[in-house]
Amino acid sequence: MVPVVHSQGKRPRWLMRSLASLAGAAMFVAPLAALVLLWAIVVPLFGVNPRIFPSVGAVAGAAMDSIRDGTLIQHIGASLLRVGLGTLIGVVTAVPLGIAMGVSPAVSTFLTPLFRFFSVLAGIAWIPIATLWFGYGFGAIIFVIFNAVFFVVAYNTLLGVSTIPHALRNAAASLGAGRWAVLTEVILPGALPNIVTGVRTGLGFAWRGLIAAEMIATNVGLGYMLFVARDFYRTEVIVLGMIVIGALWLLIDRLLLVPLERSTIERWGMVRRA
Amino acid sequence: MNILLRSWSAYTRMTLRWPGLAAIVPFVPVVALWVAVTQAGIFPRAFLPGPLEVLQAFFTLTYKGILPDYLQDSLLRLVIGAAVGMALGIPLGVLIGTSRWVRRVSWPILLFFQAIGDIAWLPILLIWFGFGITTMTFVIVYTVLFPVVLNTVLGVESVPPDLARAARSLGASRARVLWEVTLPGALPNIITGLRNGLGYGWRALIAVEIIVGTSGIGFMMFDARRAGSVVEILLGMIILGLLWYVVDAWILAPIERATGQRWGLVTS
Repeated sequence: MVPVVHSQGKRPRWLMRSLASLAGAAMFVAPLAALVLLWAIVVPLFGVNPRIFPSVGAVAGAAMDSIRDGTLIQHIGASLLRVGLGTLIGVVTAVPLGIAMGVSPAVSTFLTPLFRFFSVLAGIAWIPIATLWFGYGFGAIIFVIFNAVFFVVAYNTLLGVSTIPHALRNAAASLGAGRWAVLTEVILPGALPNIVTGVRTGLGFAWRGLIAAEMIATNVGLGYMLFVARDFYRTEVIVLGMIVIGALWLLIDRLLLVPLERSTIERWGMVRRA
Repeated sequence: MNILLRSWSAYTRMTLRWPGLAAIVPFVPVVALWVAVTQAGIFPRAFLPGPLEVLQAFFTLTYKGILPDYLQDSLLRLVIGAAVGMALGIPLGVLIGTSRWVRRVSWPILLFFQAIGDIAWLPILLIWFGFGITTMTFVIVYTVLFPVVLNTVLGVESVPPDLARAARSLGASRARVLWEVTLPGALPNIITGLRNGLGYGWRALIAVEIIVGTSGIGFMMFDARRAGSVVEILLGMIILGLLWYVVDAWILAPIERATGQRWGLVTS
């Protein structure tokens, strides 16, 4: 539950709101901090072999080292660039295609099984053939991310467009809206919640696909960082990488995708219920 | 145009009669396109073999017994992982969902561990357990567990407290409230969680089989990739896609829809 703060006249509303969100963030971080504390106590207490699990200090040291020599930023940058580029290409191609296919009910019912097939296959299952087609490296990884996003978003756009009641389109048309106006003011807004849900799901698959592909097919990126550290039993680097991967995804999902999804559903919720 | 229209209406009538047809016919043009592209020789054969060669590989590998064995291995891993994940996830989700304090404390931790993602655990799991069945099972259980827990919690919370109170005031014990109010009310969400978890789970399985690889469809695909044999990669992808399509569209989605409809009254 999000605490509701009413402005009581004296203090400005923005201050109250930022205080509330700060408190929310603190509530979120506190359990994680407790977990780190537990980790800091348990590891020296039981004398855990650093080859099995590292201490907090060792991970912090690895973090400092890799930040100082720039490798951590390099790996994060490479991973984010791949995800960003692959997602961008995927969304930009999938949304228009999904809408074009969804506009006609006959075409959309015909094509739905096809896109469903490819969207359940999307992501990791393409790694072997992607590395064969594009060689190990950038191209193969971009391709894996692209198709994870593309098929899931196209399928969801198709679903979104087909859930818009025909009466709404007819109503807009009979009020004098042209094809373009119907597209931008009825179909696109109506399908938006589904499109955003598709992007969130697709990105979830893409992110996992990225880590897997980087372990298999490249020489830079977070997945690669983890996998190489394994060869040398450097658990502190592995755990650091896991924390970075978790934190990055949590930031992307909670600060970008969830608010986006919530706002589109709230904003356009009326369209679907009509 | 007239012929097109008439054949389309004939097709629509046929699909009404045999709904399964609507799931198969759309693939005919895709396969035709595939044949056309390979026949035209746009890509070299080594990059994109034709459907016939893939079919041939299917029969050869089935005859040799490799394919059924690998398929069985993959499915068994997935089923075991999903079963363990559910057996752990549902009780944990109910526990977290029924207590506000537990929920508040554990929610960030759950979200964070879900965010780390199954595959990122692989390197350290390989150090802990080596290349083997334990590593694979751990990854699948981990993948299935979090969506099930998170969705169970959401489901438990979606049950109006009044319903539990009503049952209590009518003399139901706590255990009975749990069994007859909370769990049925949370069921649609639990099923959604399971569906999401399995969607992630089989992808994780493929990745694990590629990296840990001793057997399974993922291993077959990557082994073929090392040998440069595209036929077996395509075969693996088609089998995975078909298998998951059938499981998702004909088993999981209907269950999800059925529980949603059956228990829809509880949440609205």
